[in-house]
Amino acid sequence: MRISLSKKKTLEGYLFILPWIIGFVIFLAFPLGQSLLISFKELKVLFGFKFEFIGMRNYFEAFLIDVNFVPAFIVIVRDVLINIPLILIFSIGMAYLVNQKLYGRGVFKIIFFVPVVIVSGPVIQRLFLQGVGVASIFQRLDIGGFIYTYFDPIIADPLIEILNRIIFILWRSGVPILICLAGFQAISPALYEAAKCDGADEWLMFWKITLPMLMPILEIAAIYSIIDSFTDVFNPLLNYIKHTVFKNFRYGYGAAMGWTYFVLIFGIILITLAVFKKYMFYAEER
Amino acid sequence: MHKIQEMFSGKTKNKIDKISRFGYKNKDFLFKFFVYLILIDVAFVFLYPLIYMVVASLKTAQDFADPYTYWIIKQPTLENLRDAYETMSFLRSATNSIIIALASSIAQVISCSFIGYGFARGKFPGRDLLFILALFTLIVPPQTIIVSLFILYQRLNWIDTYYPFIIPSLFGQGLKGALFIYIFRQFFKGFPQELEDAARIDGAGGIRIYSQVFLPLSKPAILVVSLFSFVWHWNDYFEFSIYIMDKRKATLPIKLLDLNWWFTEVKMGYGGATGMFQLNEGVEMAGCLLVIAIPLILYAFAQKYFVSSIERTGLVG
Repeated sequence: MRISLSKKKTLEGYLFILPWIIGFVIFLAFPLGQSLLISFKELKVLFGFKFEFIGMRNYFEAFLIDVNFVPAFIVIVRDVLINIPLILIFSIGMAYLVNQKLYGRGVFKIIFFVPVVIVSGPVIQRLFLQGVGVASIFQRLDIGGFIYTYFDPIIADPLIEILNRIIFILWRSGVPILICLAGFQAISPALYEAAKCDGADEWLMFWKITLPMLMPILEIAAIYSIIDSFTDVFNPLLNYIKHTVFKNFRYGYGAAMGWTYFVLIFGIILITLAVFKKYMFYAEER
Repeated sequence: MHKIQEMFSGKTKNKIDKISRFGYKNKDFLFKFFVYLILIDVAFVFLYPLIYMVVASLKTAQDFADPYTYWIIKQPTLENLRDAYETMSFLRSATNSIIIALASSIAQVISCSFIGYGFARGKFPGRDLLFILALFTLIVPPQTIIVSLFILYQRLNWIDTYYPFIIPSLFGQGLKGALFIYIFRQFFKGFPQELEDAARIDGAGGIRIYSQVFLPLSKPAILVVSLFSFVWHWNDYFEFSIYIMDKRKATLPIKLLDLNWWFTEVKMGYGGATGMFQLNEGVEMAGCLLVIAIPLILYAFAQKYFVSSIERTGLVG
């Protein structure tokens, strides 16, 4: 039997996607659905995994009884709100500077990418415990004392927290810097020429051309940073879920926390997309 | 067409630059000076932990106690490095790390380029929907599915083996698999349609076009994906610490996590229990150094191609 070329191409397309579909079903869709089911259950017999249905009890426990979960949740939201804008601002700034015509800018690019290679959870943890982020730079200048004398504790505490981690926040912006850099190079020089002819200076061009043209790329960088924070050492849920499930064998409760986290992340990403969409129309209007 | 435009605009831009440089020479110099100042500062912040690691791993216990010794060490010692090397059983852990990172990254390069080709070049109903679904997998936190994956792997008898990392990688899943599919798709989308048509007229099917035309042309994408994949698998510890319980199969980051415990074990093994041995900061930093050594060396070799590759892959869309 002969099949037409277009039909053959269609089949061929599915052939290429097939491995992904198999992997998606086995290693993602199925576990995702199953963990939702388990989150309404409780493990009764460990060997053979016998579960018993307990309804919404796991979720009630997470929000109403567990003293660790809600604070961890708040920490995650706070980290996203603080870290992601900082990472974005920092990476735009750095990419802008490296994008200037400079001698040795290749060296800076190489340096900015080093953290991506060596950022490893345990290593960061050790460095943090040794106070590499704080002790030597900030403590010597006594910035902490300065902030505590002049600010309210409500503001001072998060501020100190940020300063403590600033190196690790900067370290996470290696990939976003590269993404922004590629974004800068994708902007057509013709736009800048036109602006220069109209008498615009660098400052104006940055706000009127560079930033709006960069928005789609910033969106990618923001989403990347959020994804990157899942397995960050400072993510409090990482070890808590691990402890709950694999030390205390509370599979159902762990799954419930995992799903709550997923819903939260989904919400954060939707909000991020909505925020970017609000500023995106400049680029799409043309 | 695009190239001509670029050439033209490049020339004009140079001219404009010359004029402006002539006009504001001092201002330009000042600007550059500040740019360098900021860049060097930031570069220092980026490298600071690395420098600290190297220096601290060379210090003796006395040097740590001495407030006057911070950067300059009187008598550098390799003892910390040796201790860390022994307690982490470096050779075996490094071999484990290399096996797992290499196998997974090779699997991901093969599977993700294959799937990426399908998403970039195939024309079939539901393609865009499936692609959105693929991107959606990126935002599922590992915390959410770890419970059922553990049950699945236990049923398959995969606990304490490296299969949980390698097999999903073969199907385009695994660590950030969808991101790699995305990179390959963007890269393949940039190839002209004529390239594919010419190969089809010569009688090549999809598999041959993929393996003999597209793949040999996509070295930048392969380089970026394999380095990312290698490094991320190397540094992964969350999933590893759950699927692998056998201490002999531990990778370097896992060994670092319980360096303290290992250190006590080895040091106290012969001497009997006299309480916890206080772990030297130098040993810890030496351990960190050993964990990052191999990816760092790899990056040192690949960086020349890497930074330019990442700009060419269209990682950015």
